[in-house]
Amino acid sequence: MGVGILASRAIRPASRLLRSQPSNLFLRTIVSKPELQSPEAAAVSQPEPPKNQILPPRNPVGGARVHFTNPEDAIEVFVDGYAVKVPKGFTVLQACEVAGVDIPRFCYHSRLSIAGNCRMCLVEVEKSPKPVASCAMPALPGMKIKTDTPIAKKAREGVMEFLLMNHPLDCPICDQGGECDLQDQSMAFGSDRGRFTEMKRSVVDKNLGPLVKTVMTRCIQCTRCVRFASEVAGVQDLGMLGRGSGEEIGTYVEKLMTSELSGNVIDICPVGALTSKPFAFKARNWELKGTETIDVSDAVGSNIRVDSRGPEVMRIIPRLNEDINEEWISDKTRFSYDGLKRQRLSDPMIRDSDGRFKAVSWRDALAVVGDIIHQVKSDEIVGIAGQLSDAESMMVLKDFVNRMGSDNVWCEGTAVGVDADLRYSYLMNSSISGLENADLFLLVGTQPRVEAAMVNARICKTVRASNAKVAYIGPPADFNYDCKHLGTGPDTLKEIAEGRHPFCSALKNAKNPAIIVGAGLFNRTDKDAILSAVESIAQANNVVRPDWNGLNYLLLYAAQAAALDLGLIQQSAKALESAKFVYLMGADDVDVDKIPKDAFVVYQGHHGDKAVYRANVILPASAFTEKEGTYENTEGFTQQTVPAVPTVGDARDDWKIVRALSEVSGVNLPYNSIEGVRSRIKSVAPNLVHTDEREPAAFGPSLKPECKETMSTTPFKPVVENFYMTNAITRASKIMAQCSAVLLKK
Amino acid sequence: MAAPFTLRKIGVPPNSANLTEARRRVFDFFRAACRSLPTVMDIYNLQDVVAPSQLRFAISAQIRNNAHVTDPKGMEELTDIVDHAKQRHHIIGQYVVGEGLVQNTGSKDQGKSDFLKNFYTSNYV
Repeated sequence: MGVGILASRAIRPASRLLRSQPSNLFLRTIVSKPELQSPEAAAVSQPEPPKNQILPPRNPVGGARVHFTNPEDAIEVFVDGYAVKVPKGFTVLQACEVAGVDIPRFCYHSRLSIAGNCRMCLVEVEKSPKPVASCAMPALPGMKIKTDTPIAKKAREGVMEFLLMNHPLDCPICDQGGECDLQDQSMAFGSDRGRFTEMKRSVVDKNLGPLVKTVMTRCIQCTRCVRFASEVAGVQDLGMLGRGSGEEIGTYVEKLMTSELSGNVIDICPVGALTSKPFAFKARNWELKGTETIDVSDAVGSNIRVDSRGPEVMRIIPRLNEDINEEWISDKTRFSYDGLKRQRLSDPMIRDSDGRFKAVSWRDALAVVGDIIHQVKSDEIVGIAGQLSDAESMMVLKDFVNRMGSDNVWCEGTAVGVDADLRYSYLMNSSISGLENADLFLLVGTQPRVEAAMVNARICKTVRASNAKVAYIGPPADFNYDCKHLGTGPDTLKEIAEGRHPFCSALKNAKNPAIIVGAGLFNRTDKDAILSAVESIAQANNVVRPDWNGLNYLLLYAAQAAALDLGLIQQSAKALESAKFVYLMGADDVDVDKIPKDAFVVYQGHHGDKAVYRANVILPASAFTEKEGTYENTEGFTQQTVPAVPTVGDARDDWKIVRALSEVSGVNLPYNSIEGVRSRIKSVAPNLVHTDEREPAAFGPSLKPECKETMSTTPFKPVVENFYMTNAITRASKIMAQCSAVLLKK
Repeated sequence: MAAPFTLRKIGVPPNSANLTEARRRVFDFFRAACRSLPTVMDIYNLQDVVAPSQLRFAISAQIRNNAHVTDPKGMEELTDIVDHAKQRHHIIGQYVVGEGLVQNTGSKDQGKSDFLKNFYTSNYV
């Protein structure tokens, strides 16, 4: 995907808008002349450039910054006559990238291991008899690299010709058309005519599941998918079978790709061999409008780009964010977008006396709710925010409920007694990218593979890179890295806290131990005892230090961190049972049976999910792709979603509905615009206003008082039963239903 | 109730001979219109909505607005109204509310803020 940018810049330099250097005097238009095609031309040596030529300054490709781990170890190499300083272990390709020269490649990917089998990255190096594969050759001091000589150009043309020989003429029906590396590079570096007159070979298609569509005839055997599956996803599903022209990529046995990161091979594959099955034949990439926004299916806040055509979301693609999700997103994030089109609430509705819903106007609906809310006592009013709520709507809901005299407003997933006083007690304190520095992981009551797939990918990366050890306490689960299962419940935790478990020695010897506690433990009755045991373990093993804080809490929902920052916590356990007016703002995981039969329930949300059936009034709201909302992820990084498509029907933004309701009820909230809401948030939790910044917790565990309770012996239970069905959008999605029927391990 | 006032069809030549002629025609038109007012109010049941003096004001304002053009169109309009070719909402819309004569004081719109009005209209106001 990346080299296409170079290629199209070479063809149409003026039309590139993003990241074009202002001093673009040195445009490399790549041209091949007939006199250069002959073999003699390749042997002619280039005239030496004058010694004192002042070359224009060059920036690294894509505006990247070069990180020198050891500044004394920098080497100097010459790329096309331009001297660059690179760190010691860099390859020739990376050195050329620093020098601003983007070398075409198919099999090389910066996050995967080096394969060197496509040969497209060949460049000429002085004093070398043959052109070298720049992705594999380490850069040596004083090397003179030439990327635009006739030899290099001829090599690229030859490689291109070979690749296209067995490649089917599928461009009109291939989904990758328009964003295909092969198309772009053949236009930029290939020759204009081919010499192949025999029959092309074809390969049988493999069934990899309901998400990845395979047309293996188009495969150019770059092995990116094989390396991705084994390194990043941790599952060795794919492999290369056969040799020579009979090579095929596939699973040797009839196996589906069940990994939760399987959708990323669609981005990785440079040709149309692996494409998205739900997106097959739906749209071409040039008719889609990309909107850069944030995903809310879990608490990680992966950066995504929503591609939409008109009012419909066509697909979701990951965006690069080194700190959170690198270049990957989980399958749930990628494929649950079709749930946005089903079961949508589009009009306000009131339940009639015969039990059926009737669509009404906003005026009537708000008037009814405003009437009823004045007939109940203030402590019988309960507001519950859902797992996909943004910070603005939660702030307005809390303000409104508080001004009506009630303190019962909380977010789903926070049980009674969770206190939000100290931020370290619910955030991932070492930050997601900081997990790479850990050398020992202790997972307590959390299965990161289903709870936060990106955190799991980071742990997998750390295990692979630095051989970190992972230990796990909880119900039996499968991990895609080597993991020691220490126990299933609080007993093991108590043993470790008291120092009796053999694992304690490993903890003491670790330089940067990381403890990850799952937020599912917050719902237990003996939560205080468990958390204090975890903190005593942290204390005893020097987990929390000024330079390294390894005590992490993994939240489950996108709205939880912001809710805890804003103070939406459940004060009394009996609030729901004694409520007469319940306001559910997208809260579907609430136990509907606990709501008394005579309570008046208002449901504000975007999908007709579980809680709608108990509601008396329905107020339609906008989903995360349709509103501008602030979300805080589990490490405290604040991000904002951007509206990509218009709202459905007569729906409004969540905070606007609560604000309008407050006005109709006679409560005067002091703001009526989103800037007003944000300045109100600023006075409560200023970190939520600083988007794209991570606010670490200020204090550590030393401030927490002693806990006197005892732990119960019930083992930890898994929090997420079905990875593919966790929120209202995924439950309404047909693709997720297919996945959970086919891909889950029985 | 006044005796039904029949509108004599005045054939108006397109261009008057001179200015006095035009003035005379305009005044004749105004007089005819005002004399037909009670009939109009009876036809369209405008008794509670508006007073005759306000309608006269409206008519004179229209004449003033169109002072620079000839007014056979005004005659046509008057004929249409008297013949019940128009309907109540046309009259109210064009001559009552249009001139800002009657304030639309619905109880629900009283005291509503701009935010609420925009909220009821659409999500993207």
